Amino acid sequence: MGPLIQNNMAAFFKSRHRWKRTSCFTILTRNLTGKYDYDLVVIGGGSGGLACSKEAAQLGQKVAVLDYVEPSAKGTKWGLGGTCVNVGCIPKKLMHQAALLGTAVKDARKYGWKIKDPVSHDWETMAEAVQNHVRSLNWGHRVQLKDKKVKYLNLKGSLLDEHTVRGMTKSGKESFLTAKNIVIATGGRPKYPTDIPGAMEHGITSDDIFWLKEAPGKTLVVGASYVALECAGFLTGIGQDTKVMVRSIALRGFDQQMAGLVTDHMQAYGTRFAWGCVPQRVDKLPSGALQVTWADTRTGKEETDSFDSVLWAVGRAPEAKALGLDKVGVEVNRETGKIVVGADESTSVSNIYAFGDIGEGRPELTPTAVKAGRLLARRLAGQSTQLMDYDNVATTVFTPLEYSCVGLSEEEAVGRHGQDAIEVYHAFYKPLEFTVAERDASQCYIKVVCERGGEQRILGLHYTGPNAGEVMQGFSLALRCGATLSHLKETVGIHPTCAEELTKVSITKRSGLDATVTGC
Amino acid sequence: MSLYEEVKVHGYAEFCKAVSDRKGKDIFAYFSGNVIKMTTSEPTVRGEISHLPEGSVFIYCQVGQRDYWKNPNNDFKKTLKLSGVPTLLRYGTPQKLVEEECFKANLVRMMFTED
Repeated sequence: MGPLIQNNMAAFFKSRHRWKRTSCFTILTRNLTGKYDYDLVVIGGGSGGLACSKEAAQLGQKVAVLDYVEPSAKGTKWGLGGTCVNVGCIPKKLMHQAALLGTAVKDARKYGWKIKDPVSHDWETMAEAVQNHVRSLNWGHRVQLKDKKVKYLNLKGSLLDEHTVRGMTKSGKESFLTAKNIVIATGGRPKYPTDIPGAMEHGITSDDIFWLKEAPGKTLVVGASYVALECAGFLTGIGQDTKVMVRSIALRGFDQQMAGLVTDHMQAYGTRFAWGCVPQRVDKLPSGALQVTWADTRTGKEETDSFDSVLWAVGRAPEAKALGLDKVGVEVNRETGKIVVGADESTSVSNIYAFGDIGEGRPELTPTAVKAGRLLARRLAGQSTQLMDYDNVATTVFTPLEYSCVGLSEEEAVGRHGQDAIEVYHAFYKPLEFTVAERDASQCYIKVVCERGGEQRILGLHYTGPNAGEVMQGFSLALRCGATLSHLKETVGIHPTCAEELTKVSITKRSGLDATVTGC
Repeated sequence: MSLYEEVKVHGYAEFCKAVSDRKGKDIFAYFSGNVIKMTTSEPTVRGEISHLPEGSVFIYCQVGQRDYWKNPNNDFKKTLKLSGVPTLLRYGTPQKLVEEECFKANLVRMMFTED
């Protein structure tokens, strides 16, 4: 029996005639949990919301999760699971794999495989396979929720007051749920530019690209975020004529030297880049093609070209407008629109929490949302006090030449510690597999950013090359354990791999020496 | 009580014929092997059968003898992608319940009643 029940029972006994213990207890517990329909209501059935609700249910809480997908401007919609499962990580990685296989097929000839020219790609086959896998994940989540006794409601959730959630159907029918605690994990959606005529009417976003029934054809990708570059990357890889239009820099927020290697590789492999260009309008031609007019800020000239598809990847906006947050007093960051959250995912309202992409200052990543969600559930159930650690989270950009990193970028390290207090070890290496395939490895590179003095603690690791995510995962554990440069250098590499090059770094940027790795 | 059609078939060929004869219908298929453990989930599935949507079809399919099932190249595994028996699936959709999942009434009911 919890302390709360014991105290109430004691008070009850003092002020009333003695009742039989068992009937007393039943009535009291019914009153305590009967005050609200649920212990926890989660708004948002994505990576974070599902992890949180399942964990809470497993800890004995009565939980409901509301998930609702507002169709995209093009009408695309999807099932349970959120962005990652339906229009993010999963379909992205599968299409990236499709593109990599295209390159592998070409390399295969050098390894002796007799493959007839030309090798072509069929969008419909890939899209159907990817979409079927996504649908099986939607179903898998439905089964898990049911099995773990989480009530799933396909309703658009919003706050009525701090203990009441309103659920609305597509047709506008309302229902209400009361909850002791409410968690908001509604994530975000791609932004459309507001000042470009024809942008929404004729363009698509990442919400649509994975669900297209036909290949997008000659595509203009506007933006240089990882979403833009990953999409442009796999489109090029499967044979679509692709151009990326960048206003200023690529991969804002990431180490810029590494970002340059990523885009250099993409340009060398056939993606066209329009640097310093800003789209002005999109018009539909009688042929059905899209005419895009843009300003080249470098030449001052206006340019125009036609495309089959225009993909906007200019940032993501939080799904917070329709939640009724201001009415209930949940504070939102004016600039970003995201919910202001504390280290424990709390909001300005004591029993309302928010995490995942919707939280201000949080990484927009699935694994952090999942972990934060589980820890939050444990804290709400009184099972733990552990907070989410958002530091040293490894990530990977799945561009044709993949880029993974953990810790600080070189710029961040210099900014925090000063140029003189950091040392950067680096190496240009060549994956063994590229040799026979006669592939250019100019952008395959490793960078170890560490403190210059003392133990030379590692501050950041950066890698461009094949299987970047697989390479970096183990090293992120090392950073978590406070790895120093000598730990790294004492580690014996696995041979022959690309990952071993991380253990062999010895040339510093400061020395100015050639950082190209020679053979064994 | 909802009106559904129940069909009993043996083997892959009979299963395919039963499906092709009923194009356009909502088909639920329960695949069972000739092994003792199969009979324990049947009552669960049978218990929820009244929840089948109206006009749907319930195909009860015996996959065959143990040796046939053990062969990884049998048609059920290769073409229908069944990974184990019993399996309850909604034909043409990714909705599937495998082995222990078939013993759970709430999961079976979810497949029969929810979209």
